[in-house]
Amino acid sequence: MIEFRELSLIYPNGTEGLRNINIKINEGGEFVVIVGLSGAGKSTFIRSINRLVTPTNGALLVENEDILKLKGKDLRRLRTKIGMIFQSYNLVKRSTVIKNVISGRLGYTGTFKSILNIFSKEDKLLAYENLKRVNIEEKLYNRADELSGGQQQRVSIARVLTQKPKLILADEPVASLDPPTSHQVMKYLKQINQEDNITTIVNLHFIDMAME
Amino acid sequence: MRNQPLTLPEKPKSKMKLTKRMIALVAILLIYIWTFSSISIRWESVFSVRTLENIDRIIPKFFQPAFEETDTIVEMMIETIFIAYTGSLAAAIIAVPLAFLCASNMVKNKWLNNAGMWILGAVRAFPEIVLAIIFVAAVGPNPFAGVLAIAIGSTGMLGKLFSEVLESIDMNVVEALESSGANKLQILFLALCHRSCLNFYPMRSIDLKLMSVLLLYSEL
Repeated sequence: MIEFRELSLIYPNGTEGLRNINIKINEGGEFVVIVGLSGAGKSTFIRSINRLVTPTNGALLVENEDILKLKGKDLRRLRTKIGMIFQSYNLVKRSTVIKNVISGRLGYTGTFKSILNIFSKEDKLLAYENLKRVNIEEKLYNRADELSGGQQQRVSIARVLTQKPKLILADEPVASLDPPTSHQVMKYLKQINQEDNITTIVNLHFIDMAME
Repeated sequence: MRNQPLTLPEKPKSKMKLTKRMIALVAILLIYIWTFSSISIRWESVFSVRTLENIDRIIPKFFQPAFEETDTIVEMMIETIFIAYTGSLAAAIIAVPLAFLCASNMVKNKWLNNAGMWILGAVRAFPEIVLAIIFVAAVGPNPFAGVLAIAIGSTGMLGKLFSEVLESIDMNVVEALESSGANKLQILFLALCHRSCLNFYPMRSIDLKLMSVLLLYSEL
């Protein structure tokens, strides 16, 4: 369960990101869509949950733990449980698709091993299986920047899945895609949400897509 | 709608900036004037018969290689390559921490960034020849002095190069990896190092270093 208690965030330059947010999101497969204009604070809201930004006031509880005070190792442990999908895909463009997907395992892999690029057989198979789930397994060894936008976003979904998260945050996942591709990406998100019971929070700025 | 002529809103001017620029300009001009007035080039000796005689004496020697010395020359050539290689390797290692200090997206402290820049700038200001003279005085005229000179001399340039590579990292990727629970070192290696970069960058300027070793040798 995620609970926002009187949560506020003011950026260092004085911009107010969030003001007294109170909300409860149940775990166990909810699909929550947040709709709002640009600059309304959707991103700030969603980034607070995995502490890419740190709210300045109030409390934010994930699994009954106030995450605002987490630091270092504890913070990384929290983040391994929360997958995130970005508007601009944020893949390592010069690396292969499989390497990008397997980077979802970084939080579970020792530093030394990951630097030497040693991942266990299970991790590799998991990465491949997740690529299959988003139907892009044939691009396995292509460089990430050779793919189209929709394909890249699917790779980033596979990366998040490889992380085995309990919660998926998607910050404008389809904002830079055309309508048919957007629908496809949303379909995969929805499907994963239902099949794996992963709570999913999605930011959108199209009402009609949110209604679906 | 178009009755009024379109005028561009005036660009905000900062007096501070203008004064700073003026001061810099005046300072540079003064330095130039000082330099040119204090050096005394004797043009009459540059353009003299003796210059021509010297040229005539030296240039033909280029076309008379001493083949009987091949053994020593080959040995020295190999030594030169080793010096350049060892020096570059040492420079690459020294340059990494300094590069982190300079990269503003890695160390988020302006003062430390500036300190790093100053250190690298100061190191770059010394030509390798000058360093070589210092090190020859310190450790004697042997290859080790050359290695030290190359190592320190290249640190400035490599540090700058590395810090620029670091600053060009796609911060979006860093954010994505961070959000998956990866630690700083993992992020760095995954976002930055695609197979070749680490051993490639120091070797980029190996030709330049070979040249400076040659220069050092000819000086000694």
